[in-house]
Amino acid sequence: MMDKYIEILKSCGADAWEITDTKTRGWEFYFIGRRLDQNRAKNVEHINLKVYKLSEDGKSLGIASAEVSPTESEEGIRAAAESLVYQASLVKNRPYKLNQPQQVKLPDAELNPLAAEAEGFIKTLQGIEETETEYLNSFEIFVNRNEKRLVTSEGIDITQSWPTAMIDLVVNARKDNHEIELYRLYDLGSCEPDQIRQDIQELLQFGKDRLLAAGTPKLENTPVVLSTDAAVYVYQYFLSQLNAAYLVRGVSSCEIGKPIAENIEGDRITIKALRELPGSPCNYAYDEEGAPIRDEILMEESVPKKFVGNRMFSQYIGLDDSFIVSNWSVSGGRKSADELREGEFLEIVEFSDFQVDSMTGDIFGEIRLAYYHDTKGTVTPVSGGSVSGSMLDNIAHMQMSKETRRYSNAEIPSVTRLENVVIAG
Amino acid sequence: MKAPFSKYLDSLVPGLRRLIGILEQDYDYVSVLSTDSKGLIVRISQHSKSVGNKTMTTERGTVVRVYKDGLYSEYALDRFDPEDPESAAGEIRETLEAQAEVLRRCSAEVFETGKLSDEPLEFLVEKETGSLPEEADLSSLVEQLAGISDKGMSMSEYMLDCIANAQSTHICKLFMTKNRYLRQSYVYSEGNVAAILGRDGQNRIGYAGVSGLGGPELFEKLSEKLEYAVSSGVEMLDADRIVPGEYEIITTPEVSGLIAHEAFGHGVEMDMFVKGRALGAEYIDRQVGSGLVTMHEGALCAENVTSYAFDDEGTPAGDVTEIDGGILKTGICDALSALRLGVQPTGNGKRENFEHKVYTRMTNTIFDSGTDSLEDMIASVQHGYLLEGVQSGMEDPKHWGIQCIVQMGREIRDGKLTGKVVSPVIMTGYVPDLLGNITMVSTDRGVFGNGGCGKGHKEWVKVSDGGPYLKTVGRLG
Repeated sequence: MMDKYIEILKSCGADAWEITDTKTRGWEFYFIGRRLDQNRAKNVEHINLKVYKLSEDGKSLGIASAEVSPTESEEGIRAAAESLVYQASLVKNRPYKLNQPQQVKLPDAELNPLAAEAEGFIKTLQGIEETETEYLNSFEIFVNRNEKRLVTSEGIDITQSWPTAMIDLVVNARKDNHEIELYRLYDLGSCEPDQIRQDIQELLQFGKDRLLAAGTPKLENTPVVLSTDAAVYVYQYFLSQLNAAYLVRGVSSCEIGKPIAENIEGDRITIKALRELPGSPCNYAYDEEGAPIRDEILMEESVPKKFVGNRMFSQYIGLDDSFIVSNWSVSGGRKSADELREGEFLEIVEFSDFQVDSMTGDIFGEIRLAYYHDTKGTVTPVSGGSVSGSMLDNIAHMQMSKETRRYSNAEIPSVTRLENVVIAG
Repeated sequence: MKAPFSKYLDSLVPGLRRLIGILEQDYDYVSVLSTDSKGLIVRISQHSKSVGNKTMTTERGTVVRVYKDGLYSEYALDRFDPEDPESAAGEIRETLEAQAEVLRRCSAEVFETGKLSDEPLEFLVEKETGSLPEEADLSSLVEQLAGISDKGMSMSEYMLDCIANAQSTHICKLFMTKNRYLRQSYVYSEGNVAAILGRDGQNRIGYAGVSGLGGPELFEKLSEKLEYAVSSGVEMLDADRIVPGEYEIITTPEVSGLIAHEAFGHGVEMDMFVKGRALGAEYIDRQVGSGLVTMHEGALCAENVTSYAFDDEGTPAGDVTEIDGGILKTGICDALSALRLGVQPTGNGKRENFEHKVYTRMTNTIFDSGTDSLEDMIASVQHGYLLEGVQSGMEDPKHWGIQCIVQMGREIRDGKLTGKVVSPVIMTGYVPDLLGNITMVSTDRGVFGNGGCGKGHKEWVKVSDGGPYLKTVGRLG
């Protein structure tokens, strides 16, 4: 069908166009305890057409897009394309140049068959060691094989294949009649049994500790240590500030070569975009607009080096070689994880829903499990209350461990210490 | 006008009947859900403008559910050929058998479930709408949204951008079994204005929206929301941080809706009862709120973004009284969970789209109105806050913990609004305490459908929620 879409878009009157055809075969297994609740499979295709239309005077560019069903008739596709050209003529953006073809080496497309990958996940989850009091409540396994072809009027024609997987997991811990649960959603590239087992065993330990948790005391300005996936949101704030769209909108004031804060007393932050990150579900060579993804230092020692983003906003700030970041990393800081855990602090390992607003820098989260380390070195599991603050108050003082850890498509310091947040017990 | 049912789906019916017949040779129960939902989305800001047809709920595809030996299995596909159902049946059988082989190798035990009943039922519902997204006057809509964005920019010197969004979806769904033949068509729309402001490195976002059952005609009301979006954003720029603590609070209808959703929406989704994940299971017929609290849930209890005629398992829509005078009466339930629990399904089995599994999900979740006026409620507060503007929420059904992030709190002292604003505000607490402390409930109420709802951190569906102003006590940070 791709030839048909190309022929239709070439003749519809668009000044430029893109076709994205994504095919996914997925297997899913849902378990309650150790028993199979349901099994599912899917075989689906999503075709997106995007057209660009320049105004007659060439001063504005219209954009319109549509998803067409793989069962759509040729007549229907043609009508959709013509409609898109009209729709694009209604909206006026500053013109920009689309990506041009660039050849890079595609990763090895040889993927483990779905059946073998699914079996690996099921056996890994079934093999998790439980106790009488800490166990898996339920888990869901999703294994996908994705293939995406992008064809554009500029001559780009790329086909990429990559694996994705997900585990949705609830664990319980029980003491007498008191039972608690903890939740995780793991985004993965493929099955890594040892890593999965290690992560889940850590979660089961958290569950055990939550049973013992007292109420979070009023700690107000005690430093907070983050040592689980919540910390990703802290670093995503910095990544967002380097995004061309944020710069164009004026919500980021980052400047190339200028430190992001004055008088930085904590660790300076270094962020890299990565073409590949082992175990990530985002290991592909080109972004969704056909720009090659490459390793690039975006911020070094808290000084922005390179902005990134989609083609439109990148062009608006004069970048011709930008791309949409898929994988990224944050380098470790000066101290070890153990050194960051010194003195009085609250190490929060479970939130209801930790958030760092990428535009405002606001920090929020209700505490489900934390460990309060008092000045005498006593450690007490606590639960309840919330943490709040602003990234603006933490940039100059936050500290990061030397050690790093991967969560999905991001590798970040395994321990992050924030000095200026408010804990409401 | 009535929203017309999809001709494409009608064209599939003979082929789907044959598919069901073929699969019934191998399976004890077979159902199909086919969808054909079209939409439009227009997004206008000062820096980017685009038009598209893909909304959160547009889709076209088919999901087949089969049952054998106590196990339900599903297969989702989007290339069903009504002239050749044999090849779809072959693909389904072959794939599910390959999965069964993997499960045998893993020695996976089945959580056995009974067979769904298949009582005969047939209806077509085409709900009223003012217009269809497929026929919208896009030129006028783009112009209107551009006007809103431009006007917003002129309303404050601190405006960085003003984004106006409008999206409308024409939902068409077909559900069939051997004995059931259900069709529905309805249109819902939602629009919002986001005012992005910045001053001295501090950014704030003011937000307001419209939503409802109906077509793009609903966007005419969007202009009325601009002033609030900008003025609330300006107020947030000037806002102080709240001193953490427990306060008397009054929630606006939108925040009341968030509490309804997070507190006793997720907490009584009965697929969580099956997994032993919800405390609500132990509290049926027990006091969970003050006597002023009555709460409804169901696609029939409001006309908003998720007011369907039947759910994604072919169960007719319902209206459940979850809490009556503070007593928890029942939960909401999808069909498979109902079988496992021995109760009747309530019409709350929903999928993100045909590619996804059914879970018990909310539709419209709404507190009933009371007898108090807002003025009396404010006058009764010694020191507290009127909470306004919804950002997000999260629940913990196992412990009835709740987290609500709201845009701002307006300070009340000695029965009067002081004009002081705190922002942002995170409200946390224990649900029975929060509902048990409700002492006043206003006469008016609102329903809001601009949000999406996830199950855990995925499975996003449209929901609406709402209620009146509520006075209670909450922990704020």
